[in-house]
Amino acid sequence: MANETYNRVSGFRRTWNRFHTYITKPQNAILLALGIILTVTTLFPMYTIVRDTVRLHPGSIDSQGTALESQTEVMGKTLTTYNWKNLFTAKITTRVGRERVTRSVASIYLWTPLINSVLISIFACFGAILYGGVFAYLVTRTNLKFKKYLSSIFIFPYIMPQWTLAVMWQNLFNSNAVTGGNDGLFVALFNVFMPKWWCEGIFPVSVVLAIHYAPFAYILIGGIFRNMDANLEEAATILDTPRWKTFFRITLPLVKPAILSTVLLVFSSAMGSYPIPHYLKLSTLSTQYVGMSSNRAGQASILAVIMMLFGFLILIVNQRITSGRKNFTTVTGKSGQSSLVNLGAAKYVFSFMFVIFTLFTGIMPIVLFAVETFLPNPGDYSFLTYGIAGHTTTKWWLTAENVTENGMYGQKGILYNSDIWRAFGGTFFVAVCCALLAGTIGTLIGYCVSKNRRSKWASYVNNMAFLPYLMPSLAVGVAFFVFGSGVGIYNTFLLLVLAGTVKYIPFASRSALNSMMQLSGEIEEAAIIQDIPWWKRMTQIIIPIQKTSIISGFLLPFMTCLRELTLFMLLCGQGKIITTMLGYFDEMGLYAFSSGINLILIILILVFNTIVNKLTGASIDSGIGGRS
Amino acid sequence: MARIELTHVTKRWGGFYAVDDLSLLIDDNAFVTLLGPSGCGKTTTLRMIAGLETPTTGKIVIDGVTVFDSDAGINIPPNKRRVGFLFQNYALWPNMTVYQNISFGLSNINEAGLSVNENGELIRNPSAGGEARKLTKEEIDKIVARVSAIVKIQPFMDRYPGELSGGQQQRVAIARTLAPGPRVLFMDEPLSNLDAKLRLEMRSELQRLHLSTGSTFVYVTHDQMEAMTLATRICLINNGVLQQYDEPLTVYNRPNNTFIADFVGNPAINFINARGTQQGDGSFSVKILDSYEAKFVPTEKINVAEWYSSAEKEIAEFEAKERPAEKINKDLPFNYPVATVSDTEKEQRELDREDWVIGVRPEFIRISDDGPIEGEIFSAMPTGMETTVRIRVGNYLLTGVVFGGVLYKIGQKIRLSFAGNGAVLFSRVNGRFVCCGRVDIA
Repeated sequence: MANETYNRVSGFRRTWNRFHTYITKPQNAILLALGIILTVTTLFPMYTIVRDTVRLHPGSIDSQGTALESQTEVMGKTLTTYNWKNLFTAKITTRVGRERVTRSVASIYLWTPLINSVLISIFACFGAILYGGVFAYLVTRTNLKFKKYLSSIFIFPYIMPQWTLAVMWQNLFNSNAVTGGNDGLFVALFNVFMPKWWCEGIFPVSVVLAIHYAPFAYILIGGIFRNMDANLEEAATILDTPRWKTFFRITLPLVKPAILSTVLLVFSSAMGSYPIPHYLKLSTLSTQYVGMSSNRAGQASILAVIMMLFGFLILIVNQRITSGRKNFTTVTGKSGQSSLVNLGAAKYVFSFMFVIFTLFTGIMPIVLFAVETFLPNPGDYSFLTYGIAGHTTTKWWLTAENVTENGMYGQKGILYNSDIWRAFGGTFFVAVCCALLAGTIGTLIGYCVSKNRRSKWASYVNNMAFLPYLMPSLAVGVAFFVFGSGVGIYNTFLLLVLAGTVKYIPFASRSALNSMMQLSGEIEEAAIIQDIPWWKRMTQIIIPIQKTSIISGFLLPFMTCLRELTLFMLLCGQGKIITTMLGYFDEMGLYAFSSGINLILIILILVFNTIVNKLTGASIDSGIGGRS
Repeated sequence: MARIELTHVTKRWGGFYAVDDLSLLIDDNAFVTLLGPSGCGKTTTLRMIAGLETPTTGKIVIDGVTVFDSDAGINIPPNKRRVGFLFQNYALWPNMTVYQNISFGLSNINEAGLSVNENGELIRNPSAGGEARKLTKEEIDKIVARVSAIVKIQPFMDRYPGELSGGQQQRVAIARTLAPGPRVLFMDEPLSNLDAKLRLEMRSELQRLHLSTGSTFVYVTHDQMEAMTLATRICLINNGVLQQYDEPLTVYNRPNNTFIADFVGNPAINFINARGTQQGDGSFSVKILDSYEAKFVPTEKINVAEWYSSAEKEIAEFEAKERPAEKINKDLPFNYPVATVSDTEKEQRELDREDWVIGVRPEFIRISDDGPIEGEIFSAMPTGMETTVRIRVGNYLLTGVVFGGVLYKIGQKIRLSFAGNGAVLFSRVNGRFVCCGRVDIA
């Protein structure tokens, strides 16, 4: 070789030159920095929970059990396996009715919640895919009526806070006779008492979760139905394949990846959901974690670790699937319009069914929340049953002074209640910060990763950013709770913003990565060649071209943040943000206040979504509909 | 003076060698085309010179400045190489008007010694000293006016790329590339997205452009016609390996191997297997087309034994090349096509030094009543200017081109001969070029 003719330079100089070349590319520098930051913000809180399970907690069973309570100096230093041992092996005696029953700790605190969690996650997956998938097929592939109305109202349950449907379920079906508490609308109007299994437990939780997450299935599966090359089906039709065979052998296998994505997403989200099982009274890992008394703090962390393990499992499965060879989600069509399946007269039946059903899931909660705020007492539907308009009140909104009578417990009406508005302000602040941070970081990650497709480091950073997506919300919340308490930022906006940002970066990075991948690299290279600096390429070429999906990347964290409870509830006091404030009013029995806050929240989110959609064309659904 | 020098440039991903030890010298003001089948590494080569791709090893010098050297760790980024790049899909910025597309790069230049002359040409002379400055609005207008006049797009200045036809977009892309006055212009299959007629037109415009700008052009294409008509020199690449780097006519007339002979020329060259030995007078007595005794008379002196020993030495050198990773995209011998009427069984014997293949370009097949070879018209495709005929000889098919609107009937019996000194002799053992010459049928 002609190496000797080369200008030999020293090894150090060469390495320095190489590093300099690497780092002067903005995408490399950003990746390096973000990789380090994300590793810390994602992995460190997780590490702290794992450590928490072997740490001694003053005044809790681990320190009592190990008899180290009195030795304050070892508290922070000694590690113990007591919490694990106790959780899996110990037995405790509880009272069931009059009898005293001895049961193992694990069965109460671990196995029952774990099985419930897994069951509701599985049922929710099935339900969401069936409901959302059928709906997606009908909307994209048949001549269903009212498509536009239906497809926008279908995603309402996802846009609205999780507990909306759970609360609505209660308001509809609860009865003093069966569940205790106030009578719901069914009792009030029809005098129908629903059985207990219908009102509480696995069944309603699964149904509500399925309806809440069905929009995922609709958006992901519908996205493929919509982009699928109609020629694929037409080719089968020309070969005289029966319609059902075409559907099962061609259409269904093509949407399989979307179904799998939905399964993973719904599974992990359902697993980490707190409010729905909380309202519908089911013991799951997340409600058990919250319900764990403080002297079992270390064992609560074990539950969180188990939830995290599920998250990792899902991430691994997700990796397997998306990197597989049979990944044909990119089958997009050049042929324009596909022929729609003619449903015949059934199209009216289907449309009517869906209109009615979505009315219940989309419009009804809003109406019901609104009505609740005008009832003189919770569950007092006398104005409906007796038709007396006077049996309504505006006191929950308009009371301007501190009164203890009328069941106000000294609270001012919603419109005058400074605590409520301060909490709204807090939520707004957190949402704006999270959206800006998560949106910016996510967009940068999407950009940098698409520029370094082959690099291992880029895919590491991408995975690191993606990890919190499949982590159950509560597990992330716990991680930041333990982390935040450790570094002394509990109950600060800083902690909320940090947790929110880490959890929501995937929304932005996914939509950014998807759109950046579609943008030909040459578009930017054409500018590089002309020596146009990086920031100018970003601000004048890349961002303007991709503005819709980038705005989605900011919008989605913002919307999600507004209605987030599970992630934040452990991180701050109740008055800090509006969703935790809801819990406070629920505990106080001021249901009208929580209904009013829910109403404001839902309307706020819908209004925002509509404004942004009209202004920029970006929308929540375009953000969810992507792949990593 | 923009001379480009590539020394032992290699680009590989693991064991896949996209470009394999390429050394190339592109002269100032040359119009070099990188030609080869798709996936052969030509675009990678171009992108490496431009700096958009980083070579694994090697050295690249543009205009005396080392822009890349793996040993020294030098890698000047593309924006500092002062080159122009024309992309296959134009890469126009869809959010900017035509005017903005062209002026965007100009508005960004900030250096000393800038001036714009009366013709609207940007003069960059940093050594002249003075304050670094940006171009004024008037100067930019002047330059944009000049380049848009060259490609005749003045009426579209306020339109967006989406509102232009493919040809117009192409012109805008050219104008944008020309505006900052690059020393070298790289083009990556710039005409492949245009329709046939427009492509022909743009081809001639590119040629004029090369003349008027006086810059060095490096042009990637898989279309051999484009390469033949435009280039001052053709660089033929296959499987990442340089096959031949010569003037177009040399590549056409004296192809280095059967791969090049087959790749260049339309309709493709006829390959005729031959078997025989060199005679005392230097000619080769061979048997061709199953039943014809022929004599291949070289136009130059050739000693077969010497030729073989030097060819084998080169092959051994190539194979002995040290590689950090085994090449998974192996360099397999080119399997040249021999057209036949029905599939024949492959010969199962080992090839030896008496096996040759004669390449005869279609224009050297002459149909005349006194031709020694008997044939029958298999198909005839008259275009008006010329007629491409396929002639059946035994089980073999030969392609010929006859000028003028001659009409043949399919099945018609004809006689043919091989005319001129343009036939090419290759060794079948290694597919390499041996010599040019004349084919006489006994």
